[in-house]
Amino acid sequence: MGEAETTTSEVKAASRAGGALRGWLLGLLGWLVPGLGHLVLRKYDRAIVFFVSVTAMAGLGLGMGAKLYGPVIDRSQGAFVTLLHTLGFIGDLGVVLYYTLAKLAGMGEHYLPRASGDYGTVFFLCAGLLNLLTALDAYDIAVGKKE
Amino acid sequence: MDEPLFQLPHLASMTLFAFFVSLVFTFLTKYGWKARAKYFLWCFFVFLAVGIGLGWLMYPFPR
Repeated sequence: MGEAETTTSEVKAASRAGGALRGWLLGLLGWLVPGLGHLVLRKYDRAIVFFVSVTAMAGLGLGMGAKLYGPVIDRSQGAFVTLLHTLGFIGDLGVVLYYTLAKLAGMGEHYLPRASGDYGTVFFLCAGLLNLLTALDAYDIAVGKKE
Repeated sequence: MDEPLFQLPHLASMTLFAFFVSLVFTFLTKYGWKARAKYFLWCFFVFLAVGIGLGWLMYPFPR
């Protein structure tokens, strides 16, 4: 009896660990390519909506002249600006695929002193933040916290 | 790239932003097409209303 209970609890623990690992993997997939985590989970409607929305926002942002934040090396502008740039960098990394492609294409290097550039920066940043949310959603579905 | 590929009017930028963000919020939080349609419309129009409202509030202040 005691041995059977131990075996059952071990199986449950192993199942939870496997679910968590799957959750992390699907979250990672969703982070790398918007909607891919949901596609693997066969949540096709969400996969399409997330891919189209995040891609459109990142594309619109880059087209409008977004400034892409990089890792902060120069801290001469003070702690507050350094913090803002670091947060911007983390947000931009939310769409790591488009961020990498844009950097390779030489986009987003300069700050454009006009409204369009500001809008572009916000569009790209929000695409990243939305994609982080969708990746967390894929994790939650994979571990059974959501439908 | 020193020039943007294109420039959108302020209202068009805000509308597109509200549209895509509302769409993602809707599919993250709601299930069923009726609930989704209702929440999307609510979220979309609240985004627009708040944006336009804040714009009017800032109108008296100089740049």
